[in-house]
Amino acid sequence: MKKTWLRDYIIKRLLYAIFIAWAVLTITFVLLRVGPTSPADKYLANLTARGQDAAQVVAAIEARYGVDIPIYEQYINYIVNLGRGDWGWSLSTSMPVMELIKTHWIYSFQLIFLSSIFAAILGILIGIYSAVRQYSKTDYAATFFSFIGISIPNFWLGVMLILLFSVKLGLFKVYYDTGIPLLSLANLQQLILPVITLGTGMLAGYTRYTRSAMLDNLRKEFVRTARAKGLPERTVIGKHVFRNAILPLITIIMFDLGSIVFGGAYLTEIVFGIPGLGQISFNAIFADDYAVVVAVTVISAFLILMINLITDITYTYLDPRIRYD
Amino acid sequence: MTNRLKNIKPIAQKVGSTKNRIFITVIALIGITVLLDIFVVEKIFNPLTYLYIALGTLLVRYGIPLLYTSRRLIQYYWQRASKNRLAVSGLAFILFLILLAFIGPLFTADPTAVNFEEKNLPPLGFTLEESVYDLKTGQFITNTITGVGEHPLGTDDKGRDLLAMIVSGARVSLQVGLFATGIAIALGTLIGVTAAYLGGKMDNILMRFTDIMMTFPFFLLLVFIVFIFGPNLALIVIVIGLTGWTGTARLIRSETLSLRTREFIMASKALGASDRRIILSHLIPNVISLIIVIATLSIPGVILAEAALSFIGLGDPNVASWGMILKAGQQNLDTTWWVAVAPGVMLFLTVLGFNFLGDGLRDAFDPRSNV
Amino acid sequence: MEEAILRIRNLRTYFFTRRGVVRAVDGIDFDLLKSECLCLVGESGCGKTVTALSILGLIDSPPGRIVGGEIYYNNLNLLECPPDQLRRIRGKEIAMVFQDAQSALNPVFTIGNQIVEQVKLHLGATTREAKEKALSLLEEVGIPTPEKAATYYPHQLSGGMRQRAMIAMSLSCDPQILIADEPTTAVDVTVKAQILDIFNQLKNTRQMSLLFITHELGIVSEIGDRILVMYGGRVAEAATVSELLNNPKHPYTASLIRCLPDITQVKDRLETIPGTVPSLIDPPGGCLFHPRCDKALAICREETPPPFTIAEGHTVFCHLYSHLER
Repeated sequence: MKKTWLRDYIIKRLLYAIFIAWAVLTITFVLLRVGPTSPADKYLANLTARGQDAAQVVAAIEARYGVDIPIYEQYINYIVNLGRGDWGWSLSTSMPVMELIKTHWIYSFQLIFLSSIFAAILGILIGIYSAVRQYSKTDYAATFFSFIGISIPNFWLGVMLILLFSVKLGLFKVYYDTGIPLLSLANLQQLILPVITLGTGMLAGYTRYTRSAMLDNLRKEFVRTARAKGLPERTVIGKHVFRNAILPLITIIMFDLGSIVFGGAYLTEIVFGIPGLGQISFNAIFADDYAVVVAVTVISAFLILMINLITDITYTYLDPRIRYD
Repeated sequence: MTNRLKNIKPIAQKVGSTKNRIFITVIALIGITVLLDIFVVEKIFNPLTYLYIALGTLLVRYGIPLLYTSRRLIQYYWQRASKNRLAVSGLAFILFLILLAFIGPLFTADPTAVNFEEKNLPPLGFTLEESVYDLKTGQFITNTITGVGEHPLGTDDKGRDLLAMIVSGARVSLQVGLFATGIAIALGTLIGVTAAYLGGKMDNILMRFTDIMMTFPFFLLLVFIVFIFGPNLALIVIVIGLTGWTGTARLIRSETLSLRTREFIMASKALGASDRRIILSHLIPNVISLIIVIATLSIPGVILAEAALSFIGLGDPNVASWGMILKAGQQNLDTTWWVAVAPGVMLFLTVLGFNFLGDGLRDAFDPRSNV
Repeated sequence: MEEAILRIRNLRTYFFTRRGVVRAVDGIDFDLLKSECLCLVGESGCGKTVTALSILGLIDSPPGRIVGGEIYYNNLNLLECPPDQLRRIRGKEIAMVFQDAQSALNPVFTIGNQIVEQVKLHLGATTREAKEKALSLLEEVGIPTPEKAATYYPHQLSGGMRQRAMIAMSLSCDPQILIADEPTTAVDVTVKAQILDIFNQLKNTRQMSLLFITHELGIVSEIGDRILVMYGGRVAEAATVSELLNNPKHPYTASLIRCLPDITQVKDRLETIPGTVPSLIDPPGGCLFHPRCDKALAICREETPPPFTIAEGHTVFCHLYSHLER
């Protein structure tokens, strides 16, 4: 009985996600088109040129500057090419954008992944402890530090960490070394400062949200029933309360992901010189390389879309009070 | 009507119409000045100053009477909020910052004054050893440089006074915070209330649109747009406002929706209140406290967004923003490290202050929390 | 005479709040005999629920604390038990049913799951055994399709079914004492009757003592053997149900009974007891009821009345009977 409505919901949600993906692409296209014409034309010329000698195409376009290529044609080319995986040509690095992304995404991924794990596990544990021992010294300390954590500008934190540990103490390298193989301890070591930088803000957030979700549920009546049943306290908290608290927590975490994590990762990569998608987008900006900037923006939007989709479905599955019969 | 009412009513009307007349006159004056500015004389006022004057007039006309009629409520909330020491200290810092922004420039040096004689000075009380290659002797000479009282926070590599730069950065951050947040909140509230109140198809469309905008990561979208249109402070402020409204819209909408079905609204309807009265007298006052909290908690995000943009180099190059100072500091981390510390500390304290204040306000407004 | 399975002596539970010390339970004594149904009766705020929670050690400890007295469960003083031992008794030998099943049950677990959890914990049963026990319990409380019902979440059941499920859960380890905290208050009238039937049935089939908390005298007459009337955190009167309802001695009890609407009489106004319940932070001196009592003596303002024996098993805490033995 549960299966059918869940499947229908997933299908509905997927279709909606596709709609949003299309809308994202369209808005990006509109923004490009509305901007100063010359570079936009260059970018779109990139796409239509598809790997041909960029300089030649640009010259050709500029010669045709007065002539309007019908906008809807451009739009269709744009969507079709993007859909086919042809994301244009990066002028500054002289390779297809897709190629660029393929070689660099792993750096962003490892940073975001490690930071999220670090922040989530630590944050949830501290949050639970803080809620259970409300008003204790640990609670006050945790609350205070989480305020600090969400207030510190993460790019400044990164710079300060570099100043202290790399410049003054010499414990770490100042910039990320791509020569080190990814799955090595040395790589992990050079990721410590970046992960702390990106993870602190996330950690502080998770601590606060977990604490508040737990507190909300600790006051509920079923907690008293669980205790009256003679359950040990760790089961009461760990099973009964937590299982209820985790539902709103999921929504909040998903909410945060777009605004804080991706922006934070972008800045952290730049501060530490980690060659992830943020860094290559940053380089592309100053090289006037539109294709790359567009690609990174669109990719991150799609990633968030996917994460939202998965979280939404997970939440619907986990909360037995939601039914779409 | 009793005798007292009979006497008060015409007076109240007169006061009301006088207020209106003054307001219209001031707006007209502003309008004329703007037109003169554009077409006749060059730059009577800075465009930003116009904005301030207009804002000020609006505040006086609508804000002050509103504050006056709800003074007891304000007193009550202030009493609750002031019990939270962190919130009060946050407010104190913000006021200090505002003071700094307004009168600071009168006391500090010119932030753009380049002075190579005094470059790379550390802050007051710090001594630095520096190895300089002396062309005459062909060797490295070690100099000790100490901070001077004239430049209490030191100077950067071009000799500009850091304190002065911090002060001008404060102005930038506060202005950005004020206007960008204003735009974002106004837009978010408008969309949220409209969606909740009109319901049905309109609600659907507006929420779909909000979903779409929320899918873009805020900062990356910001970078993208500034990249396309060019770094200009006014543009940055507007763009932050136009991209940061989604959270507010969601929150306001859900609050309005829950308010619509509350029993006191139904009671008002049963007593015969019109839609307009319900919106103005019941819905809006209940949402205002939420708006204030959201606004206070949004300002830090906005300030950080602008700082981050300047930090990566997409800020307005003509404006001394804290982010820009931080960038300069980062580039010379091994020599003039203090240039990176000061703006960061200011940013941190500002964000902290607003967060403390916002949290305190939220607890004060929430009837269920025991303050 | 039957033995007492629960003996409470001079129990005092206070709540330490910012506004003062709330003396929720201020020195109560009573016995709960084996296989009897003792009804704890009184207005809202008189300390009935706090008494029940004190027995199980479920008082929220930052504001509240049991400051004195003894609670003997079969010669074991529960107030001096180590917490682990108390936890083993909770749910296994002394169980509790709460007022509102909707909020008392965990919304994210099925009711079958919630019963099985308790059985496995206290009786060490395997999952299969526990599931079988759960189904038989659900059947015992009169839930029509136990197998299906066990897979339901609390919000999927009707109010009456939910209450039955909670009762089933409390019975899962065959407790010696079942404390029911106003189980019929939050349900509508037809369901009320059904729930009472279940309790009566349980009384007959199980050798279990029932501590039934309620504020409705009508229910007391249907289910109770003995009744204890509480007021302001203290006991006012204790007797068998028939004795108390026919021969109430304490002015408060008498007023309560007088306030019950009588369907055979025609009246213009309902009877009430003038005044309001006493503040538990700043209680009036002496007998707590004296400000509202029309028979109050001078001594009632000064001294707390000790218990006086009216007849066998009938005690009253009132100065009007000071001529009798204690």
